[in-house]
Amino acid sequence: MGSVTPPTTPSQSISGLGPHGERASDPRRLVITASDAAAARDGGYRVAVVLHTLSGNWSEQHLAAIAGTLGDVSISLLEAVDCQFNPDRQIAALDRLIDLRPDAIISLPVENTAVAAAHRRVAEAGIKLLLLDNAPTGLLPGKDYVSLVSADNFGLGRTGAELLAPHLPQNASVGVLTYGVDFFATNQREIAFSKWMGGQRPDVTLKTAAFPAPHLAGGTAESFLSTTPDLDGLFVVWDEPAVQVLETMERLGVSMPVTTVDLGEKMVPRLADGTVLKGVAAQNPYSQGLAMAQVAILALLGRQTPAWIALPGLPITSSSILGGYQSVWRAPAPAEIVEMTAR
Amino acid sequence: MPESVKPRGKGRPRSSETPNQSLMTILNLVRLGAATTRQELERTCELGRAVVADRLSTLTDLDLVDESKSGVATGGRAPKLVSFHPNAGCILVAALDQTSLSIGIADLSGRLITEHHEASELSLAPRSILDRLVKLIEWILPRHADAGPLWGIGLSVPAPVPVQSSEMFLSETPVFLPGWETTPVVETLIDRFKAPVWVRSSVETMTMGELTAGDGTDVDTMLFVKVGKRIGAGLTMNRTLFRGAQGAAGLIGQLPVTEGGKTGPLETMAGADMIQREGLAAVKDGRSSYLADILARMEELTPFDVAQAAQAGDGASMDILSRSGRMIGHSVAYLATMLNPELIVLGGSVAMTNDTLLAAVREVVYRESHPLVTRDLRIIRSQMGSSAGLVGAAMVVTEALFDPALLRGWILSGRPMAHPEFLAAREAAARRLAELSETPAPPPAPSI
Repeated sequence: MGSVTPPTTPSQSISGLGPHGERASDPRRLVITASDAAAARDGGYRVAVVLHTLSGNWSEQHLAAIAGTLGDVSISLLEAVDCQFNPDRQIAALDRLIDLRPDAIISLPVENTAVAAAHRRVAEAGIKLLLLDNAPTGLLPGKDYVSLVSADNFGLGRTGAELLAPHLPQNASVGVLTYGVDFFATNQREIAFSKWMGGQRPDVTLKTAAFPAPHLAGGTAESFLSTTPDLDGLFVVWDEPAVQVLETMERLGVSMPVTTVDLGEKMVPRLADGTVLKGVAAQNPYSQGLAMAQVAILALLGRQTPAWIALPGLPITSSSILGGYQSVWRAPAPAEIVEMTAR
Repeated sequence: MPESVKPRGKGRPRSSETPNQSLMTILNLVRLGAATTRQELERTCELGRAVVADRLSTLTDLDLVDESKSGVATGGRAPKLVSFHPNAGCILVAALDQTSLSIGIADLSGRLITEHHEASELSLAPRSILDRLVKLIEWILPRHADAGPLWGIGLSVPAPVPVQSSEMFLSETPVFLPGWETTPVVETLIDRFKAPVWVRSSVETMTMGELTAGDGTDVDTMLFVKVGKRIGAGLTMNRTLFRGAQGAAGLIGQLPVTEGGKTGPLETMAGADMIQREGLAAVKDGRSSYLADILARMEELTPFDVAQAAQAGDGASMDILSRSGRMIGHSVAYLATMLNPELIVLGGSVAMTNDTLLAAVREVVYRESHPLVTRDLRIIRSQMGSSAGLVGAAMVVTEALFDPALLRGWILSGRPMAHPEFLAAREAAARRLAELSETPAPPPAPSI
């Protein structure tokens, strides 16, 4: 590998700040030179990945980019752990991996408090810790972890609001279905959505409900919809719970415009249809995985890396779904989606 | 005072101490980790076993200490460990800065439980920034209801804050920035959230944060230098923040420096505005295609872009940051020689983005300071970022809440909000808000 350059993303500034108020670094500034690649190949490095979940397009794309990019420079991916959003599983996985002595661990902390000490133990064991999407409170870049790579989650929340606003009547009442766990990415999305609405649509009233776990989002939505029947629109902080929310709405015969974050597999036909799901603020998981792997390579070689690398999101609606799909999935859209958009 | 928390009269206080005083002494020893068992407390306080037992019983009833855990036995029965209960209440912390607004919740030990930072311009209307701050507080508090009741608010602002008068609690916003004189920040926070407020400059809070949770945890004398649009220094001696007579210690941004035949204030010559200005000049002169590319893509060039470009190896940007670092280094060398710190931490938005500036400061300080001063001196870049200001603001509040002069007024009620002087401050704040609402409103603020 001579050099690895992330795919060109649209010129777009990052609107959020990092978990410690850091300014974002552009992933295009991460460059692996030919000599870096050679040094990495000679290093015989071993890396493990610990994710909140291994299921779904987001994780698959991340893992594909991480495994492929590390593989290009002969860095072994020891294991990819599925924590199933469970802090205890993540703590056990990190402690087990510490004993295996990998050179680096790439982890997505599933929350902010309970898993902090286990992540700190990774750095204390001399293993380079790289974080994806979230940094537990109290952990510092350069001290407890090397770098954080995430989407511009603040920008994603703002995009979610921008996509929903045109479909809202004057003086609308909008529901925000958020994650009941203290988590950097979803906090940023929720705050940005509310801030944009407060600034650009002060006529809109926001009502919030929090689901305690992604698989419980349907139940939370059902009780939310029954206690607040006057809603004119909904924003759900990511796509996996949004699928359950949309299914619950269909079952209850409720229809209103919805926006969310990420273009997961089950979101694609709904967005192409566009009747209820009006827009998606999409992350680019492959590019994020690529940036993560590049930071890991540079960190293993002892290079200085930025505290926070952020990637801009992409607004996608039914009219832009083909290009959006290709950008997010790094593949052509399924034939039925192409057909739907041709109608 | 609730019936259930009255001292029960167990144990006989010595004539030299009162129950109230020994309660405070024991609480602070336990809180600071200076004593962790009843035996240690008896030894350190020179109080009898019955008195210590009685005071601990009272503090347990007040939910301020916990004795449920046991230590390691050294021959006999394992001693009960006495620990402070940091979740008896929580502290809300907020930091207004030139280009950001930050908020967080800390426990009573000053440990951050959660934090959020967002971009914000201080040049916006003060009222709109206050409204945004209140909105964020209203968002964060219910989400962390399990952190305990709100006991205090620590606010960090980007300007010196006058040393407080003899009043124990603020009831009025201190004058800290031109244009903010009629913005009732403190009054609004007290009135809305029913908790006492402490205000310090961002340099002071960041200094405290670095001392508490950053690289200053093992030093007594530390110098913190904040480099951004403004440049300021904070000093700790014997792990205590030195504020100066007026709260204006460390305003080094006003010191004159000379570079290339030009003389001006340090922050004008070496701060973020100079870095941005020189970055744009490098684009115009064709000295940096790297910066030109950023300007073309982003349609603006910030000081952070120049700092990041220096970090990435752009020659023109490295020159700019080196020049800034050398000028800052001259001023810091004087301070270092005068104060002989163990550690100098560079923080602030520009310093935390790159190492070129750090290298230049190091070079000048090591060259120009007295050799004895630099023999063991460490000069480092902050790892805490804006979190330092939040942690420091929490430390300002905990130190104030548990200061014996203030603690005396609330310890027997178990909650600072019951302090009689705070109740008076609340009334005064409400009165001032009412007075301000009767004065003509300023023009509507732009939305943020």
